Amino acid sequence: MDGITLEILWSNLISIVSEQAKALQRIAFSPIVREAGDLASGLFDARGRMVAQANTGTPGHINSLASAGLALAKLFEGRLVPGDIVITNDPWMSAGHFFDITVFCPIFRDATLIGYVGSTIHHTDIGGYGIGAGARDIHEEGLWIPPSKLYEAGEPNALLHDFIRHNVRTPDHVFGDLAAQVSSGRAGGERLIALCAREGLQDIETLSEEIIARSEHATRQAIRALPAGTWHGESRFDVPGGTIIALKAAVTIDNVAGDITIDFTGSSGASPIGINVVMNYTHAYSTFAIRSCLNPELPNNHGSLAPIKVTAPQGSIVNAAYPSPLNARHVVGMFVPMPILKALHQVIPDRVLAEGSGAVWTVQIQGKRATGDAFTSSMFNYSGGMGARLTKPGPSATCYPTGVAAVPVEILEAAMPIVFDKRALRRGSGGKGRSPGGDGQVIEFHMNTDQPWLLNAVPSRLDRGPDGLDGGDPGASGHFLVNGTPVSEARKITMQPNDVVRLETPGGGGYGAA
Amino acid sequence: MTYSLAVDIGGTFTDVVLRGGDGALTTDKTLTTHHDLLEGFFRGVDQVLSKAGISSMDVDGVVVHATTIVTNALIERKGSPTALIATKGFGDVLSIRHEHRYEMYDPQIEFADPLISHDLTFELDERILADGAVLRGVDTTEVEALAKAMQAKGVVSVAICLINGFRNPVNEQAVAAILRRVAPDLYLSLSSSVAPQIREYPRTSTTAINAYTAPITEPYLHGLTLRLAERLVPNKPLIMLSSGGIIGAEIAGRNPVRMIESGPAAGALAASYYAEQLGLDRLLSFDMGGTTAKACLIENRKPLIASSFEVDRIYRFREGSGMPLTIPSIDMIEIGAGGGSIASVDALGLLKVGPRSAGSAPGPACYGQGGKEPTVTDADLALGLLDGDNFLGGDMRLDQQAAETALWRLGERLGTDIAQTASGIYRVVAETMAAAARTHATDRGVDYRGLPLLAFGGAGPVHACAVGALLESTSVIFPPNASVLSAFGTLVTSVRFDLVRSAPGKLDVLDWDDVDRLLSEMAGEGLAALADAGCPPDTVSLIFGADLRYLGQQNEVPITFEHDPRAGNDVEMIRRIFEAAYLAQYGVNPSHVPIEIVSWRLTVRGPDIAVNSPTTPTGGWGQPKAMRTILLWRELGPTAVYDRGSLAAGQTMAGPAIIEERETTIVVPPGWDATIDPLGCVIAKRRA
Repeated sequence: MDGITLEILWSNLISIVSEQAKALQRIAFSPIVREAGDLASGLFDARGRMVAQANTGTPGHINSLASAGLALAKLFEGRLVPGDIVITNDPWMSAGHFFDITVFCPIFRDATLIGYVGSTIHHTDIGGYGIGAGARDIHEEGLWIPPSKLYEAGEPNALLHDFIRHNVRTPDHVFGDLAAQVSSGRAGGERLIALCAREGLQDIETLSEEIIARSEHATRQAIRALPAGTWHGESRFDVPGGTIIALKAAVTIDNVAGDITIDFTGSSGASPIGINVVMNYTHAYSTFAIRSCLNPELPNNHGSLAPIKVTAPQGSIVNAAYPSPLNARHVVGMFVPMPILKALHQVIPDRVLAEGSGAVWTVQIQGKRATGDAFTSSMFNYSGGMGARLTKPGPSATCYPTGVAAVPVEILEAAMPIVFDKRALRRGSGGKGRSPGGDGQVIEFHMNTDQPWLLNAVPSRLDRGPDGLDGGDPGASGHFLVNGTPVSEARKITMQPNDVVRLETPGGGGYGAA
Repeated sequence: MTYSLAVDIGGTFTDVVLRGGDGALTTDKTLTTHHDLLEGFFRGVDQVLSKAGISSMDVDGVVVHATTIVTNALIERKGSPTALIATKGFGDVLSIRHEHRYEMYDPQIEFADPLISHDLTFELDERILADGAVLRGVDTTEVEALAKAMQAKGVVSVAICLINGFRNPVNEQAVAAILRRVAPDLYLSLSSSVAPQIREYPRTSTTAINAYTAPITEPYLHGLTLRLAERLVPNKPLIMLSSGGIIGAEIAGRNPVRMIESGPAAGALAASYYAEQLGLDRLLSFDMGGTTAKACLIENRKPLIASSFEVDRIYRFREGSGMPLTIPSIDMIEIGAGGGSIASVDALGLLKVGPRSAGSAPGPACYGQGGKEPTVTDADLALGLLDGDNFLGGDMRLDQQAAETALWRLGERLGTDIAQTASGIYRVVAETMAAAARTHATDRGVDYRGLPLLAFGGAGPVHACAVGALLESTSVIFPPNASVLSAFGTLVTSVRFDLVRSAPGKLDVLDWDDVDRLLSEMAGEGLAALADAGCPPDTVSLIFGADLRYLGQQNEVPITFEHDPRAGNDVEMIRRIFEAAYLAQYGVNPSHVPIEIVSWRLTVRGPDIAVNSPTTPTGGWGQPKAMRTILLWRELGPTAVYDRGSLAAGQTMAGPAIIEERETTIVVPPGWDATIDPLGCVIAKRRA
């Protein structure tokens, strides 16, 4: 296929999924989908290979949707008819916790299956424990939906709908978001069929083959330009409760085959709290780290991901086994890129960045208003500083690898009886260096209430700040203080009316000796 | 006879349109004079007046002005020293931003420096609570000390943006009163008057931009008013706003933030004028120039309005890389693809067009100014769509050889010949536009399929039918006077001012006394603004609206009410309109979720403008002035080339056809037919 025809067809496929992702993000009830774009939308060929993915979403969804597509296409092979729609939230098959529901819509042209449009979005509720890491095993975390048909030949699967409705707290929101996923899948399918008609294609087999082959070739070529060898990186950080987690990555570059293998052997074992990461999610953040340094301009698809292999010991914190709790897997997952970047620093020092604060700090509050009505806030979050780059400082109050926006102070104050006393840069918290790390933030608030209230906060890096690179200083560690006293608690804390909470998020690591 | 005058100052050209009472237009285009914008302004005006044979005293209708002065000041960062006064503990709001990393995959991402630096930010120990209650008032001594510190640093203008200041302006006003007393020369911008909307970062950003540019715009508009008066122009000038509103120069001067992108906004108003004239409820305006293309959805014959936008995006037009503004503005998408966009081959061997642009220097290869890389204009020339001897009416010769050399070099890498490369660029650029338009429409819950296009800008008419085919457009409309369409748009628009204020509250338990107080204040402000623009209160209509959402959502849906909601405290009307608008956009209404009002909107609008249609072109049907081979459809033989000026109303042409005018060329591909309508529009439709 020539470079003009392929560009036109390929950009149309990406446009189809990007359009559907925009529609989902706009419609979603789930605040994290709307504000942080915590969703993925992809187009798959008849074999379930991902051909195009929307230019949105969080790193955790890059590869997990691709894996889900392959698995679901295989599982339902020969069992799908027009009008069928498949659903699952199996953490091991898709994105690593129950909140993420994947909806997978087969596309039939006449009677022939030509591909699938799939999406994963983070739902508002899935029953069970709710937001946070406190469940003791996966079953406490909510409803487990095995791969099944949400629609059968166009008709809703009544029993499954009923099942879901009875097992979530906010069925209106969940079904509103599921309806959005279903309609976006159908609309994407219509767009693909229209494209085929316009361009005179019977199916997308040749196109898919061409896209996947070229992407895989380009990725392998980029890898072949690197020196061969194995490089090691290690990242240590503490999570709520004070446990220190170590992630070790051995990055092996094979510049003959053109592939990269990342091996997490030596990383910490499973955690008793819900911060364990399934392989898919580890894979997602690993490929994100490699691809964003290697060839970020190349679109994500089966081919561009294929040369990157990820392994981790079964049962470790980055390859969680049943029945480990997984709910807050981002707390560890967002650190997955860091040992990889440290290893890559020895190979491509100009394209990596020093360690940053890692996971965003999340907060949720439950309490009573002056009127006596109970309220539960949405989860809100704050970033620390980002790590420095070879020639550029780390941005302050900005997170890497995720990049989620924070909810404005005024929006939070309008939604609940909270009063913020401060939200400022934490000057000097970024590690010194030739390029300094970004600064973290200081956030201080109290509740305007005469009743006890519940605080569910998930800070990280309270013991160790992010490491610097190449002689740069580490960033300052974080501080989570209640009335001036440090706290490290993985579960919800009961607070008194006059308590003052102060969050000091970590600074990013510096790059190069100052 | 009544004459009205419009002047639109853009980055390159200053466009002037004079309209007589019979609808006849006299137009002129002159180079923008960046050292003194008014020099070009009056040069263009004088040329138009002399063409029309009248004097400035005869301009007894409106004088409307759209200008790029504010955008330029921001992009060049040439403003005077500007300070920010923020609530104690919140002085870093411009550095912290939304915390959003707008480009996930680029670890080398950068952010623009805040418009007001840390050393010019001053914190004040005061606090308003979310419900408007004053927790801490303003301490006079503290403000006086701030004033001294600011004066020591040479501050000329001050942005005052305090937490929850949108809810209760009393502390911001107290600060302003003290500053006026002790430092009367300072320009003051209060968030509670510039952009009284919830969300501290965008409000502070908006107020900062206003403060930064006010010392430029106030003297500028004051000078304009004086010089028009010296020339005995009977009426005071009116200023075009980004929202499509028009207001007096004095109010505009104090609110420069509302003038940003007013030229493109006026283009969208011209599009809505043609929607009205042609009886089309919806269309997509498509303005493609040298470096970018802009598109705007017209729904119910009105441009869509956005409640916020960004200025000075520093990263490939990416959302999030600019400075946010929360003011009502015409909702436009800017696409990094124009005539100067450079075509290249990427690492995968794919042909890409833009977002890099050759700009005006060196410009496309065919400009012969040293550009070596092939651009969209080079492709258009090589394909035969443009006539190198007749570009800008022959004022600028295009170098066909240079274009072909550049295309040949690119083709070497693609394995294609010059014609294939050029037609590839032509197709890819159409796909890029169509994809951007689709995503923009989908993001707003609009079904783009079948929308007619209204094409203008230098490159728009060349590419519009190709884009229209991809969007399944029923027709593509090429209005007359397309090169001065924005200036024309300002003359077909009523005087109008849009106000917004946040006051979050659940719909079921609204405090209607509070609402009444708020809406009365807004109406008072709006009526005063319109009176200043020459519209007495009895000629003014008030249109009420609000931004609503279901409780727990973060994005609001703006709606317009049928009547003043205070009549009977009409919660049911508000609910009904919101639910219908929500359903139309999202296809589903959640049951049992309470509705929340976030902001109230009020549009204050002067009387309709009676516009006579321009003279209908009559006379004999134009004949082709030449036949030209177009490489896109070479097999069909030479294509007829018409001069637009020779075409008469009612004339139809079967595509393929080329219709040339001075500033642009209309391409009617095979399978399309073009008709000249009584307004002088060329309307292309695909043959069934």
